[in-house]
Amino acid sequence: MSSPEPIPPPNDRRGSRASSNADISVQDGNGVMVGGPPGSPSPLQIRASNSLNSKNRRRPIAKQPPDVHLLEYCHTPDSNLVCLICHSPFDKPVKLLCDHYFCRQCLEHAWAAQQDGEKTCPTCRSKVDVDKDLRPVPRIIETMLDELVVKCPNSKSGCDWSDQRANVHDHVMLYCVYTLVQCPSYDCRLHISQKDFHKGCLHYTVSCENCHTSMMMKDLEGHQRTDCPGRSTNCPHCSAEVLRLDFQAHVKEACPKVVIPCSGAVLSCTFTAERAEVASHQETCVVAKLAPHFQEQQARIERSEARLEPLSRRVGILEDGLSNITSMLYPANSEPSLPLSEPLDPTSLEAFPPAHLTAASDFRLSPNPFPSVPQNDVPQTTQPPFDSQIHHLLTMHDSLREEVSRITNALGELDGRTNMMIINESQRQKDEMLHTNAAINSMRMQLHWLMSATLSNRNAAGSSTARASASTAAASGSANSATRGASASAGLGNRATASATLHAPLRRLSDSTRQDTKL
Amino acid sequence: MALSNANNGATNVAARLQKELMDIMTNPTPGITAFPSSENLTIWTATIEGPSGTPYEALVFKLSFEFPATYPYSPPNVLFKTPIYHPNVDFSGRICLDILKDKWSAVYNIGTVLLSLQSLLGEPNNSSPLNGEAAELWDNDMLEYKRKVAARHKTPEELDAA
Ligand SMILES: [Zn+2]
Ligand SMILES: [Zn+2]
Ligand SMILES: [Zn+2]
Ligand SMILES: [Zn+2]
Ligand SMILES: [Zn+2]
Ligand SMILES: [Zn+2]
Ligand SMILES: [Zn+2]
Repeated sequence: MSSPEPIPPPNDRRGSRASSNADISVQDGNGVMVGGPPGSPSPLQIRASNSLNSKNRRRPIAKQPPDVHLLEYCHTPDSNLVCLICHSPFDKPVKLLCDHYFCRQCLEHAWAAQQDGEKTCPTCRSKVDVDKDLRPVPRIIETMLDELVVKCPNSKSGCDWSDQRANVHDHVMLYCVYTLVQCPSYDCRLHISQKDFHKGCLHYTVSCENCHTSMMMKDLEGHQRTDCPGRSTNCPHCSAEVLRLDFQAHVKEACPKVVIPCSGAVLSCTFTAERAEVASHQETCVVAKLAPHFQEQQARIERSEARLEPLSRRVGILEDGLSNITSMLYPANSEPSLPLSEPLDPTSLEAFPPAHLTAASDFRLSPNPFPSVPQNDVPQTTQPPFDSQIHHLLTMHDSLREEVSRITNALGELDGRTNMMIINESQRQKDEMLHTNAAINSMRMQLHWLMSATLSNRNAAGSSTARASASTAAASGSANSATRGASASAGLGNRATASATLHAPLRRLSDSTRQDTKL
Repeated sequence: MALSNANNGATNVAARLQKELMDIMTNPTPGITAFPSSENLTIWTATIEGPSGTPYEALVFKLSFEFPATYPYSPPNVLFKTPIYHPNVDFSGRICLDILKDKWSAVYNIGTVLLSLQSLLGEPNNSSPLNGEAAELWDNDMLEYKRKVAARHKTPEELDAA
């Protein structure tokens, strides 16, 4: 959204498809995918998380967490909440079997000097088994400790925060501008307070221009505010004593003797005088009273316009993407009646060909996917009137988004259906292949049988030429039987092929019926 | 790392001693005073009054405390600055008291140490004396013992003068 690209020319939609699709996914800043299947991580999200990581790598702000033992408490804490070792309110307390309480850290320090197995309670010296005898303290103790009011550890640097102890860690690590962080300069190892971080490295020596003392740049402001002997000056206009640091602000905002115009100058009041006089004039000046409202309105209009511009660009890009998708879905029917050229014109939507709705309405566009534009001559009663142009654009944007997700669903469904058809088809092909294989096998067997019969015939003929004449009747009989066998087997083969050719159309019939019921 | 630990230790000693000072100032114990030296928070001067009913009655004794960087996990080094005749204190003011040695516990503080020393004055541990003569006189000749205590004692004014 932050860098809207120029909208491609409206008559070059097909050519700019790829680029405008890319625009959609980049433009969609809410993490909702427009140009891809829902559920898969969008490239935008991946890029966003990567850039976040790399940002963290580049700026290591190592802050020191506050030391609870060194906190300053606003009220004297209840003596029952004070650790006898560190004399501060408990920090992560533990309870021993003898009912004595200590901070975990204090106890560990005290035990560091003692041998393993000889640890004792610092108060009553009863033996302690480190693995078993440490107990959590009652919840109410923790709560009372959390509710103790402490000052910010940076109070000496000027932070006046004070709140419950439970919040001090977050304050120091996240919010306190006086917390020390590493200097932004890479070759500088010193620390600087968070509020001066953006000013870059301030660890160089400067000389105060008022008293010519040298000091580090980071200390200059504090010096000129509180320590410098020449820190204040007299205003040349009103001769009041002001800090040199604040002199500019004094002249600009406070000095009663500086000559300024009436605040109604934007609305053509020409009064100009010293600040004190102008103040009394503004009590009575009507234009001066109106001026703030006027300026506020002006600012509001400017803000609205600034907001409107990227939105309208976005809608234009979305429209463009949608028409691309539409033309992808109806490549053959790209007639002038399709809502490609004028997707916002409700009259052309009514001219939508009804054939599409009857053929397969599930993945076609709904009859009226676009909110209609309020027209002066034709009042629309079905659509609520839009409050503003922005509202209209937003509504349009939403409906476009819905449209795209509907199309995504339809595409998914179509994909599934196609897959089903392919599976059915290949199953049938496989069945036919099996039949053909069976036929080939049976033919091979017959061929084998014929071959062996011929061979045995030839052998018989070679070995018994002597008895040939004596057994012509028998030979002719065997030849007869051979030809009969051959013809029989041929008949078998014929029948097999016949059954194959007979079966095929039958199966195709059943396949087509099955297909119809499934589709 | 070692450096930052040592730093931490030092700041923790200072923090704890500051709290003890606050404690002593807001709830003073009669017969006991303690105050850090002006330039170093880890060196303190303290006084105790001899308990009534003992040979030390109405006498005031000055002591010095020196706190190590590991305080309160190790004991302070305590010395009698006022010369004292006592079975468990030698002539240079060193004290033989178990809680200042192996029986030290991190929960002890300046106040508890001073109270223990006060009670040690009335109840010496004669089984392991630093001053054998004093132990023997305590058991056998209390009059002579009292004379020796008085002879050895110096008031704070005399001490400052010397
Ligand atoms: Zn503690
Ligand atoms: Zn205990
Ligand atoms: Zn703060
Ligand atoms: Zn720096
Ligand atoms: Zn200066
Ligand atoms: Zn002025
Ligand atoms: Zn005016």
